[in-house]
Amino acid sequence: MRCDDARVAISLRLDGELPAGVDVHAVDEHAGACAECAGFQRHAERVRASLRFEAVVAVPDLAPAVLAHLGPAATPAPPAAADGHGLRPSAPRPRRPLAVAAALAAIAGMAAGVAFVGLGPEPRSPAAADLPDRVLAAQTGIESLDADFQLVQGDVAGHRRAHRLEGRLVYDAPESLALTLRDRGSREAELQLVVNGERWWQSTVRACSPPPDRTGCPDAARHWVRSVRGREPFSESSPVPLELINPVDGFTLAASTPAGLGTRTIAGRRAVGVAVTAAQMGPFLDGLSVGAHLRAVHPGDPVELWLDDEHLVPLEVTVRAAGDPGRARWASGQGSTDRAGDAVLRFTVTSVAINRPVPNDAFATPARMDPDETLDAGFRTEAGAGGPVPLDLPAGFRPYRSGTITGTGGPTIAVDSWTDGRAWLAVRSTRDWPGGRLFGGLGAGVRTVDLGDAGVAYVSDDGKKVALHGDGLDVVVSGSVAPEELRAAAAGLAVTGLRVPRSWDESATTTLAEATGAVPGLLVAPRLDGFGPPAVRLADGMVIQEYAGAGDRGFTLVQSDAAHLTPPANGDVVGVEVRGTAGRYSPERGQLEWVEGGTTHGLSSHTLTLAELLGLAASLEPA
Amino acid sequence: MQEPEPALIRAAAAGDLGAFERLVRTYQEPVWRFLRRLLGDAGVAEDVAQETFLRVFRRLPTFTFEAKFSTWVFQIARNAGVDELRSRRRRIRLASLAPPPTPAVGMPETRAEIDAALASLPVDLREAVLLIEVLGLRYHEVARVLGVPEGTVKSRVFSARSRLHRWSTADEERASGEV
Repeated sequence: MRCDDARVAISLRLDGELPAGVDVHAVDEHAGACAECAGFQRHAERVRASLRFEAVVAVPDLAPAVLAHLGPAATPAPPAAADGHGLRPSAPRPRRPLAVAAALAAIAGMAAGVAFVGLGPEPRSPAAADLPDRVLAAQTGIESLDADFQLVQGDVAGHRRAHRLEGRLVYDAPESLALTLRDRGSREAELQLVVNGERWWQSTVRACSPPPDRTGCPDAARHWVRSVRGREPFSESSPVPLELINPVDGFTLAASTPAGLGTRTIAGRRAVGVAVTAAQMGPFLDGLSVGAHLRAVHPGDPVELWLDDEHLVPLEVTVRAAGDPGRARWASGQGSTDRAGDAVLRFTVTSVAINRPVPNDAFATPARMDPDETLDAGFRTEAGAGGPVPLDLPAGFRPYRSGTITGTGGPTIAVDSWTDGRAWLAVRSTRDWPGGRLFGGLGAGVRTVDLGDAGVAYVSDDGKKVALHGDGLDVVVSGSVAPEELRAAAAGLAVTGLRVPRSWDESATTTLAEATGAVPGLLVAPRLDGFGPPAVRLADGMVIQEYAGAGDRGFTLVQSDAAHLTPPANGDVVGVEVRGTAGRYSPERGQLEWVEGGTTHGLSSHTLTLAELLGLAASLEPA
Repeated sequence: MQEPEPALIRAAAAGDLGAFERLVRTYQEPVWRFLRRLLGDAGVAEDVAQETFLRVFRRLPTFTFEAKFSTWVFQIARNAGVDELRSRRRRIRLASLAPPPTPAVGMPETRAEIDAALASLPVDLREAVLLIEVLGLRYHEVARVLGVPEGTVKSRVFSARSRLHRWSTADEERASGEV
C-alpha cells in the first residue's frame, strides 16, 4: 500500500466514510510500519480531539442581541417544554425493538450447532483435539518464562543465503517482558526491548527510510533508542509480544478440530504439534517482528506449530510456502523465489525455563544507553483515579496499577486494572470523549450486546473489549480473561450503556435479526467452526457481516440490493462457479462476487484462500 | 444534535420570537465555535454568529423541511463567515499586508497553534475540515452546506489534513533545529 493511499484511507476512516471494500488491516499494517503515516494519523486524531472537544469556554449568549435586533414585536412564546433546554427531541428515527434476545439465540445456535465440515482438515492426532481450549486455559498458568531461541529466515534448508538470528525472551507475569535479537555470532543486538511497569524502552537498528532529512535519522543503519515513560497498565501501544509466550490470539475463535502432527521432544520438553496457517499465527509473527524486519509470508502459508505439552508455550514454528497459484503470484509480486514446500521462516526454542524465578537484572536498562527519543505516554499512577469500578471481579483478582492519562492531546482517561498475578482486567474511562466513534479502539466491526440493566454494550469482533457509551461517560473494559467475564465486569460498572449517536461510525451496527428483517433473502454463515459471531452493519441498502477468526483470519460478507455486478475494478478478475452460478474472483482484492436471488453478494478476505472462500460460499444459508 | 420539532420551526417562521429564541439557543454554540475557528477571532465570530441568526430568521419562511434544519443553519453560518473573510481581505488589502502566520514553537497543538495552522489553510480547505471536525458533519452534509459534490469534500478534507500535518512537522523541525 502506498503512503498516499494509506493516508486517504486513514482520513476517510476517521470520518466514518471508509468504503466497505477497503482493507482496513492493510491500512493498519502500513501505518504500523510507516512512521510518517502513523504520524499523520496521530496528528489528525489530535486535531480532531482539540477541535471537536475543547475546554468549555464562555460561549456568548447571542439570543438577547439577536432578538433586540428583531424588535419588541414578539408574539407570546409557547409553553416551555419539559427539559431544561426547551426543546423536546423531535421525530426520532423510527427504531425497532432491538430484538437482542432473538439475535443472541441465533448466535448461541451457531456456536452450539453442528461442527462445520468442509473447512479445515480432520484431526490426525488426538493430542491436538482440545488444543485451542488448552492454549486459552494455559495463559493463567504461566508466571514466568526464560527462553533462548533461534530464528532462521529465507532459505531454511541452507541452499541459498539465509538470515540467522538468535534471541532471548524473558517474561514475568503479568506485564514485564524483555526480548533480545542478534545476528548469529554477532555481539551487538539488532533489537533490545524491555517493558516493565510504567516504562518501556527499545533499541532497534534503524535503516533510514523514509528520507533522512524528514526523520532526523542518520544515513547509515544504526541503533535508535526510544525510551517511554507514563506507560498505562497493559498498554496496547507498547510492544509486549505476549503471543510469543502463549499464542492466545492465534487460538481464540480457532477451529475446534485442528490437524495434529503428533508429539516430539524440543529443548528437552515434550511438544505437541498442530498444523495451522500463517494468518492464524499472524499475531505471533507480528510479535516476532518487533524490531526485527521479518520477511513477508503469505497468509495462506501452512505453519507447523509445536507447543509445550504442559504450558502450551510455542517451542517451534515453521512457516512453509504454500503451493497454490495465488501464492505463486503473490511471491513473484514480492520478488521472492520461494518454491512450494520451502521452509521460509523457522523459530526454534533451544532452552526454556518456565515458572522459575527470573534474573534480577532481566528488565534493567543498560546504563550507557542514551535514548535518541524520549516520550511520555501520559499515564501517572494515582490512587482512586475516579473511573467506574466493577462490582464483581473474577476470583482472586486484586487491584493493580491505577491512574490517569493526561497531556497527550486526547481526552483525560482514568485507568484502573486488576490481576491475579497472571490474567488481567482493565477499565478505562473518560468524560471528555469527542465522539465520532466508540472510545477504546474497538475497530470497525463491533457487535451490540444487551447487558440488561446496564443497557447496551458494544463488543469488539474478538470479544476482548467491551465498550459502554454512557451519559457523559465513555468506558471500555479489556483484559485477558474470558469474554463473558469482561461482559460481567462491564455490566457491574453502574454505567448505563446507550446506543451511539447517529453520527458515530458504529451507529450502523445492527443485529442479524434486524438485518434479516430489513433485507429479504439475506445469506448468513451458520454453524461456523473457527469464526466468531458476525459484526453486522446495515447501511445504504447493504448488509455487511464481518466474521473474525483465529489470529488474523476473517472474512466479510456483503449483500447489496444491486441486481447486477458492477464492472470489475481490477484486471485480475477470473470467472468461477459459486453456489451453482457464475461468479467472479479478484485475487488482488481477495473478493468473490456473485448474483443470487436478485441481489449481489460479495465474500472477501485477505487471509483465506479461494478454496476456503468457495467452501464458505457453499455453506451459506438464507437467514 | 437533535433536530428541532417541525412545529417549533413553523412557529418561529410565523414570527414567534419565543420559538426563534429556542432555536438560537440550540444552535448558537456550534455556530459560534465553527465561526471562531473559521475566522480565528472570538469577537468577530460573535458578530458574524449574530448576523447568521438574523439571516436565519429572515429566511425561515423559505425553509422547506427537505434538508436537515441543522445543515441549513450551518450553511447560512458558513456563508456569513465567508462573506466576512471576503470583506476582511478587502480591508487588509487597503491596510498593510499582514505577515503570514508562523508556526509557534513549543507545546504542540495549543489552541493558538491550531488556529495558526488553520489560518494557513485556504478557505475552501479550512471550512471543509471545520465542518467535519467542529460540527461533526458527515461528508454528504458538508457537501450540502458547501454546495459541492461529496467527492470534492473528501479530497478537500484530506488535503486539509495533509497540510495541517505538514505544518506540524515543519514546526517540529523548527523546534529540533533550534535545540
